[in-house]
Amino acid sequence: MNRRTMFVFVSLLVMMSMLLAACGGGAEPTAAPAPTEPPAAAAAPTDTPMPEPTATPVPVVEEPTAVMTETEAMTETVAMTDTAAEEAPTEVPFVSTCTGDAPSLLIWADDQRSASLISLKDQVLAETGVCLDVQEIPFGDIRTKISLAGPAGEGPDIFVGAHDWLGELYANGVVAPVDLGAKASDFDPVAVQAFTYEGQLYGLPNAVESVAFICNPDLIDTAPASYDDVRAMSEAAKADGTLTQFFAEIREDPYHQEPIQTAFGGYIFGQNDDGTYNACDVGLDSEGAIAYLTWVDQMVKDGLLSGDVDWETAHVLYETGAAACIITGPWALDRFQTAGIPYAFYPFPTQDGNQASPFVGVQGFMINSFSDNKVLAQSFLTDYVATQDVMETFYATGNRPPAFLPARGVMDDDAKAFAEAAATGHPMPAIPAMNAVWSAWGDAIKTVFLQSATPEEAAASAAAQVREAAACQ
Amino acid sequence: MAVKTAGETGGRKASRFSEEGGSTLGLILKYVFLALVVGFLTFSGWQLLQDGSYPFAATFFITALFITLVYVRRTTVPLRWIAPGLIFLILFQIYPVVFTVYTAFTNYSTGRNVEKQVAIKSIENQTYVPEGAPTLNWTPLQADDGTAAIWVIDPATGEAHLAIPDQEWIPAADVPGLVLGPDGVPTSLDGYTVQANNQRFLFVSANQGVTFGTEEAGAQVTSSVEARETKQKYVYDPAQDAMVDQQTGKVYVNQEGVFTADDGSIVTPGFPVVVGVSNFTKILTDPNFRGPFARIFIWTFVWAVLSVLETFVLGMFLALTMNSPNIPMQRLLRVLLILPYAIPPFITVKVWVGLLNPILGMIGSQWNPGWFTSPFWSKVGILMVNLWLGYPYMFLIILGALQSIPQDMYEAAKVDGAGPLYQFRRLTLPLLLVSIGPLLIGSFAFNFNNFAIIDLYNQGGPPMPGAGVAGFTDILISYTYKIAFGGTRGNDYGLAAAVSIIIFIIVGAVTIFNFRYTGQLEEVSENV
Repeated sequence: MNRRTMFVFVSLLVMMSMLLAACGGGAEPTAAPAPTEPPAAAAAPTDTPMPEPTATPVPVVEEPTAVMTETEAMTETVAMTDTAAEEAPTEVPFVSTCTGDAPSLLIWADDQRSASLISLKDQVLAETGVCLDVQEIPFGDIRTKISLAGPAGEGPDIFVGAHDWLGELYANGVVAPVDLGAKASDFDPVAVQAFTYEGQLYGLPNAVESVAFICNPDLIDTAPASYDDVRAMSEAAKADGTLTQFFAEIREDPYHQEPIQTAFGGYIFGQNDDGTYNACDVGLDSEGAIAYLTWVDQMVKDGLLSGDVDWETAHVLYETGAAACIITGPWALDRFQTAGIPYAFYPFPTQDGNQASPFVGVQGFMINSFSDNKVLAQSFLTDYVATQDVMETFYATGNRPPAFLPARGVMDDDAKAFAEAAATGHPMPAIPAMNAVWSAWGDAIKTVFLQSATPEEAAASAAAQVREAAACQ
Repeated sequence: MAVKTAGETGGRKASRFSEEGGSTLGLILKYVFLALVVGFLTFSGWQLLQDGSYPFAATFFITALFITLVYVRRTTVPLRWIAPGLIFLILFQIYPVVFTVYTAFTNYSTGRNVEKQVAIKSIENQTYVPEGAPTLNWTPLQADDGTAAIWVIDPATGEAHLAIPDQEWIPAADVPGLVLGPDGVPTSLDGYTVQANNQRFLFVSANQGVTFGTEEAGAQVTSSVEARETKQKYVYDPAQDAMVDQQTGKVYVNQEGVFTADDGSIVTPGFPVVVGVSNFTKILTDPNFRGPFARIFIWTFVWAVLSVLETFVLGMFLALTMNSPNIPMQRLLRVLLILPYAIPPFITVKVWVGLLNPILGMIGSQWNPGWFTSPFWSKVGILMVNLWLGYPYMFLIILGALQSIPQDMYEAAKVDGAGPLYQFRRLTLPLLLVSIGPLLIGSFAFNFNNFAIIDLYNQGGPPMPGAGVAGFTDILISYTYKIAFGGTRGNDYGLAAAVSIIIFIIVGAVTIFNFRYTGQLEEVSENV
């Protein structure tokens, strides 16, 4: 019995090793070591929707006549061994659609962009002889994966990301500078500014994103122009008892609160003359920031805002007509439409003549500094991605205002409204000290909402934590 | 016949081993498989060697040698049964443990995420464009011998040159056989073929990093149409263990894994270095860590003990009740009581989170002492959810254990005049603990590391003011996770590894206690 078990076990081992060899062998010399990789590689073909490998023979510079006489199957074999011999430099444990010895570019893209990029594949192959491989990865996962895969030599050549990852990606050394060349003037300056880090541009901007002030036109006569108005309308709504809460302010994160705190004159980091952020100028305990927290504090004390309203709750309140106004982004519009609730865009309320300014997030394409194909990646981005057609297809799937100005013509009214809101905004800081802001400032806002700290205490604690993280004397 | 003496059995075994390889087919198959496995391992090891992953390559070669020795030598027969398990144990258990311990003594974190050699290579790959260097337009050329060259035009001045690797630029006037097109781009020249525009990408791909011209005056292609003079920005100086900026002369000295200049500016990426016990001292002495860590430490124990107690008490109560023959619809009730166990806990926790939602939830909207916002009530809430998740398990095993207590003991107790309460205290409970005791300790260890429910309920929140990523319902394992991966403050793997070692020591101590305690209980059962 034991011998039979052993026999079965050894056969299993052999089969597994065959599988490993199949996944890892041939053109893939680096896949074998990492113990967690093989299952991922095996799962890749089913998880990722990839088109069948194209049967189109690859136009190669070298004479293809020698292999033309052979069968197509033979062409494949010859191509495979060639690649193995030359050790294609940037291979990853993922089933490539690129065979043969044409240079290839691997792109990590999220679901909003992968389809558009895949549709470029045939055109790029025909026009330039370069093969595109697009691997679809959830947007948020790219951030952590690139820092691990990049230095290991298993990263893509190009990846999609948000500009506020730059602080981390720069620290991990996985981003390479990008040059927009002659097309620089076609991009939204705020978006270009956002992707600029330490004086260098590190991404080709694709779309801008910001929140806007949205109200239900059926529930309000006039839009609130200031936060005093918001307070007055909240009181009126409370007296009527018609609404659960007039303003569905999300207690959670600094992102949604930024247009409110800037309306009170608060700021997170001071800006240098060139628009970059000065980590040593922390404004979280400035007068404006405290004024904002005090306003929240009073609203909560008077029962006009609730510390229980998190992101989801706020949206449900608005969707069910239990709240009249909300600050939210383009991602919420689908929900509002599904719920059949009317919405209209209004300017952010201001206070005491301050300029209300939301955070602008920019998504774009970055180049992996560990790629051996950086210049090729750069060429592909400027020649094929920075074009009106492609940027318009990204807009069609993502509905975010394009950062590429010539493509802005196709925007619908909603996107235009968000683009207008973004125009009043400032890029989300990407400096490392911003990481401390997300948690420390977020906690400060939350503790005021929960009434477990006074505005002054909360602001002082947050500012101290951020100053410590920024390590300024 | 059925009963064999020990000697017989041993003899049979011995003879089976000695006739090993008696079947020729078996022998052939054995060696074929052995050859395949060893061949695969050696091949992989060879590939790794080519890649420069020496430790991994060594692992593969040693494994191959080990397998060969074990399966070929006769004296190592007993090892054959455990060799594969042993190999996987070392690869997937011992190696991660060793690596975690090592990491705990380094400053491996965001910004220090690659090996030193990789960091140096990556930094040395960075380039700069000298001040005033023009952006040139280029055209791909191929020499008759197959080498590459480019035709560069400075759009500002209109000057054009032929640029060949390792040669000075040749002005357009000195190029023989030059015929220019209307846009200033050559249509033909001696010794070279002008390549079509659709060859640009392939040309770029083949000539990345190639300098056309000399080291002093040359250009590299930077995109499909532009070329620039680019120079290496940083050079590593091993003597100072520093990076020297070639453009400004600034020196960046290695400081704990990051090349840092005097003014505090850095070049990235950095690499992890061994920092001794500083991660442990940080946990124990840094006020930003010590306070939250102590609170989380205490709460972890409170959480694990209370979770076991509450589920045990409720489970036992229900089991005793359901064990009574007087209960109507006993089977149906048993099934219903076990039902929460059958639903995946991930769904259950989320359902509870919904029920407790202060505004939309069925319970939370009616009664909300702060299920997710008050430090105390969020702990109560999470214990309540764990009670719901955990009691069916206790109910199930106690119900089973009750069946194993002989009924005649109760009869004897009754004869001796023991009441129901006395019976429970002196008979049922001690006998139950004999079989359930180890499971209770197992349940403690499980809840001690019950990451899923903590994360699903409130991500460890509400936040502890001024305590970094820590929250009031965080237990050690969820805190570790936040430090290592979940936090928005960057990933600190070194610190997280240190915390996980502390967790390991605690769980290890509990396990040792478990073994001792189990032994004691067995003594109890012998005495009863």
